[in-house]
Amino acid sequence: MLKLFRYGFAELSSISQLSRCLSIGACSRAFTSQARRDPSETDEATAAINEGERLNLESDSTRTNSNADPHQNPYKNEMEETFAPFRFVYPEFLPDPTIKWRNRVREKLERMDMLKRRSNIDIPEFYVGSILSVTLSDRNAPGKTNTFVGICIQREGTAMRSMFTLRNVVDGHGVEITFDLYNPTILNITCLRLEKRLDENLRYLRDAPPEYSTFPFDMVPELRNPDAPVPINTLKVKLNPKPWHAKWQLWDLKGVEDFSHELESREWRKLNTWKFSEGYETAKYDLMKTYRSTIPAEEQTEIYSEVHQQLAKLTASLRKQKRKRTFVKPQKTV
Amino acid sequence: MVFPPPIKVHAAPKLVNLVSKLNVRVLPTRRRLSQPDGPEGRLKRMRNIVTALVKNERIEVRYHSGDEARGYAERLISEAIRYGDLHKPTMDLAKFWIHDEAAVPKLFKVLVPRYKQWPSGLPYTRMLKAPTNIADYMNSTSLYAQHLFGVLELRGNPFPPLPGPFAKPHPGAIHNVLLEEARKEYFRSQTNIEKQAEQQTQAVPVPDEEDPLEQMTHNLLSESPTTESPESKK
Repeated sequence: MLKLFRYGFAELSSISQLSRCLSIGACSRAFTSQARRDPSETDEATAAINEGERLNLESDSTRTNSNADPHQNPYKNEMEETFAPFRFVYPEFLPDPTIKWRNRVREKLERMDMLKRRSNIDIPEFYVGSILSVTLSDRNAPGKTNTFVGICIQREGTAMRSMFTLRNVVDGHGVEITFDLYNPTILNITCLRLEKRLDENLRYLRDAPPEYSTFPFDMVPELRNPDAPVPINTLKVKLNPKPWHAKWQLWDLKGVEDFSHELESREWRKLNTWKFSEGYETAKYDLMKTYRSTIPAEEQTEIYSEVHQQLAKLTASLRKQKRKRTFVKPQKTV
Repeated sequence: MVFPPPIKVHAAPKLVNLVSKLNVRVLPTRRRLSQPDGPEGRLKRMRNIVTALVKNERIEVRYHSGDEARGYAERLISEAIRYGDLHKPTMDLAKFWIHDEAAVPKLFKVLVPRYKQWPSGLPYTRMLKAPTNIADYMNSTSLYAQHLFGVLELRGNPFPPLPGPFAKPHPGAIHNVLLEEARKEYFRSQTNIEKQAEQQTQAVPVPDEEDPLEQMTHNLLSESPTTESPESKK
């Protein structure tokens, strides 16, 4: 249920330094849920601001129907269009795409279990890069509860086995806790800051200076317009000098500053050999590989049209209860 | 060495791309066909088949590589239907998979309109097993040579239908007319032979008096209790 990793760091930097680092890229806001990422257009040299602008432009053209060219997408399915953004908000409702492990009955039963759990706890929308606070029931803790605050660096698994990993630096030590999303001992999950990052996972924060992953435990949740698109933080992290925990050069990371000066000539050679031997250039054209790693749109529509009404009802009722609990009637002061 | 190296995380579906559901059977993993030129060479082999299919609409290929390329062809058509020719990534895909530039517009101008209003659940392509003369492959010592070749075709093509599970015989085709006539003639000849045989059995054979052996056999047969001829009673 609970995994704990510890990574040593030299010193804990001040909060002011942290806030300065975060404010660099926090300005640009975009919505990319429907935008297809075009590999040919993304250039590593483009500045963070340009990236944000490009994403904004793409999102505008795809999101609003009035601006969209009628010839752009000949395939129009209204059901699919309405349920397409759901895959980012509730990714755990989609099953594991591995064909030999598919079992329609089990998937349906698991979805019912997830809805039952969601009727007891409000699981907010969050992404990799969002800052969360999780309260867990812990009988050995002084107040019987334990709270951890951190940045979500990874989401993995599907259905009842879906997990997320929070990272924070506590007393100069990097701490990562992997929670099961549907763990029944979780009492509360709050999203303190809702934002996305440029990468699928932020495991490289283990090799970044601690100010990138230090967050105060008494952080106040940020207010945001619920109808506004989720902002993308285009922050570029500067990695520590080597040695690293993994060979970060093997993934084309977008949220990391250029580290080519760190690599030796033999590493460059090996990188090129790997890319050549694995057909790196043509891998994006392998259509069946893409198909085997996703759930088809028709199936996604079927799943979300099955659960969306109940989900909306549950979240509305839970938030109403929450507001009632927090509302304090003002006292008359004479 | 796999690139990028795998990391032990629990599997989750990739969410970036939306793909249409295929109506063909998709194997859990790709077929282990020989790939002397690596994964890139394998894709190029598939590309040759897909290009030939789009250009000719009906091709004869090795069964397993043809069936493997079938999925790629289906995916390419479904992407073209979903995103159209103005979508740049789809155009890149089409240019990669259809190696002949002159045939790329055929995908968007001929095949997409054909398959846009296609009945749901019906695939765009058809794979049939072609009959193979086993005698040609006796020296290769392969016992699996029965279905070495297959026919891969796009549905709704202008050619006459192949004899398959869905093909109906066309009565006006010249080979069908000739076959029908031949069949009728055969049955006519068969009935003639039967009639002759019946006439022969109904006629009672008269023994030749001059031949003693014939006489003897006739007497033996007539003496047996089951077969009594009217001549012996007299």
